[in-house]
Amino acid sequence: MTQRRKILIVVLLAAALVWPFVGGQYGTSLMTQIFIFGMLALSADLLLGHAGLFSLCHAAFFSVAAYTTAILQVRYQVPTELAAPAGILMGTSLGLLFGLSVRTRGVYFILVTLAMGYVIWGIGYRWASFTGGDSGVTNVPAPSVGGFTLSTMLEYYYFVLAVMLLVMYVYHRLIRSPFGLTLRGIKSGEARMRSLGFSPPRHLYTAFIVSSFMASLAGVLYAYFNKFVNPVSASLHVSFEAVLMALVGGTATILGPFIGAGIILGLRNWVSSFFELHLAVMGLVFIIVVTWAPDGVIGLLKRFIDRRKAGANHG
Amino acid sequence: MNSFILQTFNGISYAALLFLLASGFTLTFGLMRIVNMAHGAYYLFGGYVGLTIAKLTGNFGLALLAGGLAAMLLGYVSDRTVLRRVGDDHLAQVLITVGIAYIVGDVSLKIWGGDAQKLPLPLFLRGVIELPGGIVYPTFRIFLTAIGIGVGVLLWLIYRRTQIGAAIRAGVDDREMVSATGIHVDRLFVIISALASFLAGVSGVLGGAFLTVFPGAEWEILVFALVVVIVGGLGSLEGAMIGALIVGLLDAYGRWLAPELSYFVLFGPMAVLLLFRPRGLFGSANMT
Amino acid sequence: MLFKVKSGLAKWVAQAAVAAMAVSAGAAMAQQKGPIRIGVLAPITGPLATPGAEMLNGLKMFWEQNKYTAGGRKIDLVVADTTCNPDQALTQARRLALQEKVHFLLGPLCGHEGPAVAQVSKETGIPLVMDPAGADTSTKWDRMPTVIRTAVSASQIGHPFGDYLYKELGGRKVTFIASDYTWGHEVAGGMMRTFTEAGGKIDKVIWAPLATTDYGASLAAIPADTEAVIAVVAGVARIRLFEAWYNFGYDKKFKLHGGYWLHEDAIPQIDARAVGLISNTVHYVAGIDTPENKAFVDDYARRYKLLPSWFAESSYTAGMWTKAAIDQIKGNVEDRAAFLKAMRSVSVKAPRGPLKLDEYDNPIQNIYITRLQKVKHPILGDQLMNIPVKTYTNVSQFWTYKPEEFLKRGPYKR
Repeated sequence: MTQRRKILIVVLLAAALVWPFVGGQYGTSLMTQIFIFGMLALSADLLLGHAGLFSLCHAAFFSVAAYTTAILQVRYQVPTELAAPAGILMGTSLGLLFGLSVRTRGVYFILVTLAMGYVIWGIGYRWASFTGGDSGVTNVPAPSVGGFTLSTMLEYYYFVLAVMLLVMYVYHRLIRSPFGLTLRGIKSGEARMRSLGFSPPRHLYTAFIVSSFMASLAGVLYAYFNKFVNPVSASLHVSFEAVLMALVGGTATILGPFIGAGIILGLRNWVSSFFELHLAVMGLVFIIVVTWAPDGVIGLLKRFIDRRKAGANHG
Repeated sequence: MNSFILQTFNGISYAALLFLLASGFTLTFGLMRIVNMAHGAYYLFGGYVGLTIAKLTGNFGLALLAGGLAAMLLGYVSDRTVLRRVGDDHLAQVLITVGIAYIVGDVSLKIWGGDAQKLPLPLFLRGVIELPGGIVYPTFRIFLTAIGIGVGVLLWLIYRRTQIGAAIRAGVDDREMVSATGIHVDRLFVIISALASFLAGVSGVLGGAFLTVFPGAEWEILVFALVVVIVGGLGSLEGAMIGALIVGLLDAYGRWLAPELSYFVLFGPMAVLLLFRPRGLFGSANMT
Repeated sequence: MLFKVKSGLAKWVAQAAVAAMAVSAGAAMAQQKGPIRIGVLAPITGPLATPGAEMLNGLKMFWEQNKYTAGGRKIDLVVADTTCNPDQALTQARRLALQEKVHFLLGPLCGHEGPAVAQVSKETGIPLVMDPAGADTSTKWDRMPTVIRTAVSASQIGHPFGDYLYKELGGRKVTFIASDYTWGHEVAGGMMRTFTEAGGKIDKVIWAPLATTDYGASLAAIPADTEAVIAVVAGVARIRLFEAWYNFGYDKKFKLHGGYWLHEDAIPQIDARAVGLISNTVHYVAGIDTPENKAFVDDYARRYKLLPSWFAESSYTAGMWTKAAIDQIKGNVEDRAAFLKAMRSVSVKAPRGPLKLDEYDNPIQNIYITRLQKVKHPILGDQLMNIPVKTYTNVSQFWTYKPEEFLKRGPYKR
């Protein structure tokens, strides 16, 4: 790892550690959200940036995990040490099922994941006797393991930060591993990979499951953050935004999805306080990013740095 | 038994509306390989413009025309400014058209407000028709079904019996070949695109007359239209017809008999179909 | 050397401390004089946008009449759109409480948004004047010291109607069509309970989600041998159901009673076919014949060219109520406990009639069964208006049941 990168990591870490004292209660709440949705965006990016698959169902894993944990804790008084893993397990099991979608490619993959995501949303919305429908599940208690409770926003912020760092590290190792290389090989040329003896469907299926695991983890964190789960968490809009966050920040990077989450959530929050048309602003962001900055913020930064390096070399 | 007949009629009339919207979507994909998620926004915008014209002039025919033209204009502008740049990249297409849909939705909200609004209908469309067996059915829905069938027949005739239709079919089958034979593929694109958005706008006005025009309508209808083209097969006109019928009927029966499961009844089979026969019922095998 | 720095440091710290105290005292003084920020949660878009507009109209009318002043301070309304979705309501409530730093929350409108916003009140301690959301649980099982309801609890309007339906309308076998969310469940639940306890029979309950566009399917499910259909629908569903009812010729087959649906804000979108219908069971209609109400209705009509619905009256009264409380504590809303205490002790003369808070923080008030009639209004001319045909007085959220019994039963579910 380069010196520059090490410094960057230290700076970012320090900033994250002192943020609650700078941002206040609302700032802490917002940043926790950015961490959680950044993880969701990262999960979508494993498929998008590394395997070339545009999935529109990640909100389904997110939501199922959140609902499972919330319902277990609120309705059945199941303690956190069981409810949280159960949530992750449910979401990942759904991933096992939805992973069948990797049999399709291109536009069909997009459409089949869209359909699957809708089924989950529809169930959450219509199976009101179980999920509570639109009224949702309220008053999820603070997570508590063995007498130790994360009862304040501040405590939860640091917990989520720690989880996020762990996820980032594991993800980093994963995409640098042979598995990650294989995925990128599939993205750039599936036929070639087949001829080399690889089995793309098996790799893609594994990637899908890993991705659903990450999305489920984010979902459980969300349930304890929001303390409220309703079908909105499974909506198409959430899946779109996850992909957009990865794009805006920079796909196939680790920080990109989080930068994207920060930009999207920050923008929405800032804009909605003085401007009603915030969805239109979001739409503009979609169009601008896709048309002029498909590599996202990180891509722009890289281009900027490279240009300066080139300039320095010539100057 | 009466309820069954009633719901069958409801399903068929809804299918007519879905066909009007889905036919354009499927042909746009078939010919140009463009996934246009802004189709719902064309429906919405057309519906709102039609609403305003209907309220101002009291003329429903004029409202239909205005709605269609407004959507066509919107489609043309989106095409020329942004869609051209992305070519075949489906990811980019989806994201850009979703962005367009968000913008159109929000601007419409600002202009027409947040209420659901009823499109005023001319007197002769407002009543009910007494059918044998004591079933009373709204005249408008019968009118809608007639329009759906009429447009369907017209499109089919053009598609299967005219030269332009042949060119379009050839283009859907093999784009490169068609341009190699000297047919102006670009001009075909413009025609299909304009027709698709015009139909979307007209369906917005028709939908607004019995479902009301409201913010969010663009996503509701788009989702159904997507199921239609997936089941029917991307790029197939006949597929859009059969798909619309299947979706309309499934939706009507589902909401009557098992309202809690109604989304599942629709999307479950669609997902399964996509997994095992992605090209749908009538789609050709070379679509990606 | 260290000494010098230390004493220099000590001096600096002391000076800084004095300065800080002066600044904060000044800031506190300035805050005392600064405006009172009220966070208003209303559905500006979505299926309940029309009632949402009414809610804001009523609130603004009150504050304009009172020059946006209370307790010697200016009033700032900070409005957030909840879209009638609990998740949005919760997010906006948090934003208003933590980022906009409002002094208290007013709203939300949709029944199921109530508990979600109450959750924020519990998390942050910010007082919530729940108006008009009517989820039963907020003044029963999930009561909170920081939450007071000023409008009505859902089943509170349901119970009298079941009684009226059996005794005065002669209903014996009926079918319900109700909106499938907390408000619909509880209003219809209350109606069904008193109706069946009086001896009535429910043929079927047809639930339709709020966002349903096509009521053809719901109507098709009505049993052929039922006598009457009771409509308990909200927002845009009122118009859609109304149209579908006549479009499919059901007016020729069954009797139709509200229930809960044809409020004044929906009237502009329906027509003369509705004249003579029993329209509502509710704690406020424009047709209430008292001097206070006539003045309120005329003011509203002059301002908005419409008759006020109960959404408008609710927020108007909530404005009245909060102003009385703020006046009582001389504007010191920063003292949340004092504000809540004042809210629980003041009394107001509302357009809807007599009003008193019970020990569970819900109003005891009149419930009116109304019929739609054509009247000639002095300002608006020929109008369809809800006219009370029977008044149930002193109705509490528990009806005639004992609170402990009622609480043991649990909430009305679908």
